[in-house]
Amino acid sequence: MHRRSLILVSLLLALAVPLSASQFIDMPFDQVAREATYVVRGQVVDTWSAWDASHEVIYTYATVRVSRYFGEIAGPDTLMVREVGGTVDGYTQEAIGFPALRRSENVVLFLSQWEDGADYRIHAYNQGKYLVRERGGVEVLVSDPVKQGEARAERHDRFDMATDGAALGIEEFALMVNDARAGISTSGPRTRE
Amino acid sequence: MKKQTIFALAIAAVIVVASADPAMAYVLLSPRRTWASTPVNVPVYSAGNNSIADGSGGVNAVSNAIEVWGVVNSSVTNTAAVRGQAPATITLNSNGHICNGSCLAATLTGYYTGNTITDADVYTNTKYKYYSSGEADGCSGEYDIEGIMVHEVGHVIGIGHSNVSGATMYPSVAACNAGNRSLEADDIAAKNDLY
Repeated sequence: MHRRSLILVSLLLALAVPLSASQFIDMPFDQVAREATYVVRGQVVDTWSAWDASHEVIYTYATVRVSRYFGEIAGPDTLMVREVGGTVDGYTQEAIGFPALRRSENVVLFLSQWEDGADYRIHAYNQGKYLVRERGGVEVLVSDPVKQGEARAERHDRFDMATDGAALGIEEFALMVNDARAGISTSGPRTRE
Repeated sequence: MKKQTIFALAIAAVIVVASADPAMAYVLLSPRRTWASTPVNVPVYSAGNNSIADGSGGVNAVSNAIEVWGVVNSSVTNTAAVRGQAPATITLNSNGHICNGSCLAATLTGYYTGNTITDADVYTNTKYKYYSSGEADGCSGEYDIEGIMVHEVGHVIGIGHSNVSGATMYPSVAACNAGNRSLEADDIAAKNDLY
């Protein structure tokens, strides 16, 4: 098996439980990478929450300062990402199992545009968000262990095998995104429910 | 004892410990939260799901199935869900603009600082095909709507995901798997912890 495919399969298997959030269908990595408008590495520099116009849904808005675009498409230095869920005036609304963005997180995100606005959402839910960790001077990507409705973990930027589990080197990830968006399969078609 | 034997036994012990499911591994939503009183009223909106051929689009089947929790009272309602306001309502014919793409179903829950749940609405991604126990043609690549909603109502009453494979609150489900219609000991323990 190609080394990159082996790494990807190992990572996905290792991350299988945390990625399989409630009532989501896991999509092949290639599909997530192809469908996303942007794939970015950045930092969440600010977040705030607000009700929508009809006062039915609380959204959290995150300003993401982009330091790198993966794939063939580049965009602005700053992107606005909006996710369902947040707290306003003491009332918290959560979409259980959905990803959340927290201030100062270093992240890699797959993003697609909301149909009702110019801002972006995380594409493919938890499959579209990775946390960036530092391991021996190299950046690696890990699955975010904390979804909406789950206990907050203590923030750390260094890779910790005990809490982070499997990790993927960011340059390996970049090659996989390039291949996927160029139509070169990084792994066989697979769907996990 | 030879070094190799000791090493092999140690490895075997690690594998056994690592692979064993904890007897009770349920997880409650964080922060812990409950409804103020039971039974929790969870009506199902009367507009059914077009992919379910059981006469009501899955509405009646879901309304009956979710009462398996024992602390939930269900009915069929002609009033669409109002997010941010009780009652908790299940909607089978709309994704609520929050559950699309790879999302099968989503629960949007709300609570104040006192950790009393005041609303929780469930939406369904109509892009996928579902089936219910009321269908005569069986299942082919469809998702069991009753099992999915029993799981989602677990979230409605304050339960998170379990690590116990086979539990209704386990975080993954396969097509044509109707096992989540019934509760396992781990699910019941979670419910009894809260209510």
